[in-house]
Amino acid sequence: MQRKTKFFISLIGLVFTTFLFSGCSFALPGLSTNSDENTISIAGGASTESQITGGLVKGMIEHYTDKKVNVINNLGTTTVIHQAMMNQDVSISSIRYTGTDLTGTLKLDPEKDPGKAFTIVKKAFEKRYDQTWFPSYGFANTYTFMVTKETAKKYNLKKISDLKKVADQLTAGVDTSWMNREGDGYKAFSEEYGVDFKKVYPMQIGLVYDAVHAGKMDVVLGYSTDGRIASYDLVMLEDDMKFFPPYDASIVASNTILKKNPELKAIFKKLEGTISTKEMQKLNYEVDNNLLEPDIVATKFLEEHHYFEKGDEK
Amino acid sequence: MQNMNLLQQFIYYFQQNGSYVFSQFVRHFLISAYGVLFAAVIGIPIGIMISRRKKIASWVIGAANVIQTVPSLAMLSILMLALGLGVNTVIVTVFLYSLLPILSNTYTGMRQVDDVALDVGKGMGMTKFQRLYLIELPLSISVIMAGVRNALVVAIGITAIGSFVGAGGLGDIIIRGTNATNGTAIILVGALPTAFMAIFVDWLLGIVERRMDPASKGKR
Repeated sequence: MQRKTKFFISLIGLVFTTFLFSGCSFALPGLSTNSDENTISIAGGASTESQITGGLVKGMIEHYTDKKVNVINNLGTTTVIHQAMMNQDVSISSIRYTGTDLTGTLKLDPEKDPGKAFTIVKKAFEKRYDQTWFPSYGFANTYTFMVTKETAKKYNLKKISDLKKVADQLTAGVDTSWMNREGDGYKAFSEEYGVDFKKVYPMQIGLVYDAVHAGKMDVVLGYSTDGRIASYDLVMLEDDMKFFPPYDASIVASNTILKKNPELKAIFKKLEGTISTKEMQKLNYEVDNNLLEPDIVATKFLEEHHYFEKGDEK
Repeated sequence: MQNMNLLQQFIYYFQQNGSYVFSQFVRHFLISAYGVLFAAVIGIPIGIMISRRKKIASWVIGAANVIQTVPSLAMLSILMLALGLGVNTVIVTVFLYSLLPILSNTYTGMRQVDDVALDVGKGMGMTKFQRLYLIELPLSISVIMAGVRNALVVAIGITAIGSFVGAGGLGDIIIRGTNATNGTAIILVGALPTAFMAIFVDWLLGIVERRMDPASKGKR
């Protein structure tokens, strides 16, 4: 009986100390939470790309500082991520696209020049939300026309305007929502480039890569960073008339966290221009096709590049 | 990867992402465990208290019952409005759902202690505190532990849903699997450890329960 009582009292004592230890600051041992002073929270998003970049930012911060990082994944849309930043649930977005935030969050007119778009977004975010946009990772996830290597060779296609002469022999597969969109949809595109395909098939965006690879379509419109572009060896046609708005990918951070941790600025600057669109395709491919977790892919990428310790390794 | 069958994909995934799955596993477990721990710390004393005052008991258990009727996804969303995104919201949700099984089991456990045993204790000159620790708790521990077990198994399920408010855990892997084009293996990698964790924890607490139960002492 004696031993049992002792055991029992010590158990209760243990429970209580754990409670007291953790209860006051609500930072529980072993768990990184976003209400902890020493923790930086990052919004990860739901897409493969956003989770990879989430892993990149996490890896960089953990490598260069002794802060703990808490990644909040599965935030569905830019609106949700923006809301989370405004509520200070998170202080850093691992990936934001200039085009999306320009028309979505800021509700401004679309701007086709990437440089200008970035400047507008950067200034507006500084003023309206007290947040800083860092220079782009080096890739843009925009709409792009693509063809197989054979088709490109056959018709000698490099730019979208090359399609003009041969468009009446080609079938095209495009995103359903793009088909009827005002402003930068098919109608506007057709007028701007003077390209009118033999037939245009609206389809779900995820299917276009397989459709062109299988030869069901000649030309398709897809996202420029999708992993399947690399794996199917598709040729992206250059948007030489700058029709599609730019979706350059950047890190966005709240100024509060930057003031608290001034070293973050230099860390994020290291990532500037390090990932080309091709590179991002490869990373996406690793996740979507090779069953790797985004977090693992990000860590591997950082280790390969030695966490960009030397500035000249870009 | 297309030329692998499901089992091969499943194994390959584990080989490649083992460290990640493990860290999410630990995170998942900690979220559930902390929620239940807090519920036990608060629920057991309250359960003991209300077993002495029958009038309050129906009110307290009724309130815990009402909490239990709220669907878990709704509870997460409501709490998210107040607590924001992240782990804390899920821990509080788990805490709220764990209250009822722990409370009502403590209550039942304490009530079913034989009055004769208590009278004997009194006759031996035990204080109130001694009677609680030496008679009531040992006799009701198996019922209380059953409540904790129940709560923890439910908690592991709720934590999986917690991914929607950004808490992480194995639910993250499940959601990623549903988004991926060929995600069956990924879904299994998230779902199977969750189920395994629930079964394992239940089994482990079962052992603890038997150890603490004085009735089983003679049999050992």
